[in-house]
Amino acid sequence: MSAMLDNLSLGFGVAFSGTNLLVALIGSFFGTIVGVLPGLGPTNGVAMLVPIAFAMGLPPDTALILLAAVYVGAEYGGRITSILINVPGEAAAVMTTLDGYPLARQGLGSVALSLSAWSSFVGSLIAIVGIAAFAPFLAQWALAFGPAEYFVLMVFAFCALTSLLGEQPIKGVLAAAIGLSIATIGVDANSGVYRYTFDIPHLADGLDFVVVVIGLFAVAEMLQMLENKLSGQSVEVPPSQRKLFNLRELRLTSGSTIRGSLLGFVMGVLPGAGASVASAVAYANEKRYIEDKDPDAKFGQGDMRGLAAPEAANNSAATGSFIPMLTLGIPGSGTTAVMMGALTLYNITPGPVLFEQQPALVWGLIASLLIANVMLLVMNIPMVRVFASLLSIPGWLLVPGILAISFIGVYAISATTFDLMAVVAIGVIGYLLRKLQMPMAPMVLGVVLGTMMEQNLRRALSITNGDVTILWASTVCTILWVLAAAVVLGPMGYRQLAKRRRAQETAP
Amino acid sequence: MVLNDRTLGVAALLLSAFLAWFGHGLEAAFTYEPVGPRAFPLLLATVIGLCGLRLVVKGGNPAAPNPPGANSRIALMVALVLVYAGLFQWAGFVLATAVVSACVGRLFGGSWLQCGIGGTSLSVLFYVLFDRLLDVVLPLGWLEGLL
Repeated sequence: MSAMLDNLSLGFGVAFSGTNLLVALIGSFFGTIVGVLPGLGPTNGVAMLVPIAFAMGLPPDTALILLAAVYVGAEYGGRITSILINVPGEAAAVMTTLDGYPLARQGLGSVALSLSAWSSFVGSLIAIVGIAAFAPFLAQWALAFGPAEYFVLMVFAFCALTSLLGEQPIKGVLAAAIGLSIATIGVDANSGVYRYTFDIPHLADGLDFVVVVIGLFAVAEMLQMLENKLSGQSVEVPPSQRKLFNLRELRLTSGSTIRGSLLGFVMGVLPGAGASVASAVAYANEKRYIEDKDPDAKFGQGDMRGLAAPEAANNSAATGSFIPMLTLGIPGSGTTAVMMGALTLYNITPGPVLFEQQPALVWGLIASLLIANVMLLVMNIPMVRVFASLLSIPGWLLVPGILAISFIGVYAISATTFDLMAVVAIGVIGYLLRKLQMPMAPMVLGVVLGTMMEQNLRRALSITNGDVTILWASTVCTILWVLAAAVVLGPMGYRQLAKRRRAQETAP
Repeated sequence: MVLNDRTLGVAALLLSAFLAWFGHGLEAAFTYEPVGPRAFPLLLATVIGLCGLRLVVKGGNPAAPNPPGANSRIALMVALVLVYAGLFQWAGFVLATAVVSACVGRLFGGSWLQCGIGGTSLSVLFYVLFDRLLDVVLPLGWLEGLL
């Protein structure tokens, strides 16, 4: 306990420096803007800022604080458009539309906004306490991991990510494998052999992950925006009277907020589950739980509990997903994968030793998460109108802005035309893959983890001189394989069960 | 061409073949370890190939068709972004951004006047913000002698 307090005071010492406070404020603000803009989510915002933060020469702790603030800010921002115009600002805010928009239609838009800001805050707070309490233990435990354990851990991360992501896990597997193959481009560190470089000097060091991420998330997104614009998506803004939620509404939703937060935290810690899955599960869970107890519940027609639970879960999971990144070096979500890539630009490899070697970085980040959340809560209640007015930025100004910022970022990293061209090519491929419902997160995870995964596999097999049994010899490995099988088979079985139940309901 | 899971599967099979073709010859001249540089890429090629096979066999899930006229505009947008990539270093950030922003703006429904003013102010504003204030160096290109 006292160790935790020591660590936190170290963290607050870092976070309360003038630059870091300012950076947290700017990050929260920028993140909220990115979250509000439909189509742009936390991953896009963080991806656009990574190269710029690096090129500006920000020290690693400041850069990480900036990116983390953007991440949390975007999770706050995403709910604004969900509630006001029924368009989720980012993927994790989809569930917020279900009860948020009906509330806005009933003239309770501002109440819904302030209440969901509160739920988001509570969710983040619970997750931050969770990080401070559990992360050091997990890191301690992970110190004993050898290459075989790491390899299996990464397999588990991919299993969790792909099976929880969508209807078609096979596309997740394909996306992950493509991402991993992108990571094999370049000189092989062990043997010096050039792989898939085709004598192009720019490819000798591999394809920079910034290029891949900006292509997949910025360029592809702009093409998607153009398509959406041409299919004519319209917006309408409803009126609203009372500003703040009252005590009765707070009491009504507090249970849902706490349950959503706890569930979200657990989901966030699992590598791969992430905020969008957490908010969906929290909503479904809460709906079932409340409807059993309270016949007056009107989920889907503007029940505040249906707003509070997914918002709390969403933010709690986003914050919780820092745990696997910081302690194991395995990102818990697409966005933390991008952040981990940012750390590697600084030659910092996240993992269990991070807590020992860079305590200021880790605890500064944790303290900054808390500060950013307080800032966001304060910012969000009076400034909601300001953020909502962002929606009136016309596409003809917004899209060129995104394009310019993305290109500035890529150019800042490498200063070559080749990389800019590569961004466009990857963007077009990414756009087509998205149309085919390929999930992007496993691909990013693959690019970020590729080298590490291969290195650990080869190292493990070197130990036993090629005997593959080392991959399941230790207890930790066995447990991880069992967990991996569980996350793959669990949702599959659940889906089968749900299908059977639905069939029974329709056929009386 | 129809975009559906079968198209995706075929693409995956082609990628798998590509990876295998250029990967099977990867050998280290001399080696200390049992697993060389070839194993991991070939493993991935196998996984991609199996996924592709499954998608080809199963098919279905056609992608939602774009509204009429959208494809040509999306192609135009891609062309503009490529032009931007080509001009960025050569012509310089300010000029490239002003011109391409104006054209991209047109695609998103702005008038020539709006896009012209918007593109120019955007490029100058970003140049001052990033290059002068934030120390992110941007190429000046053709304007090099003037500024």
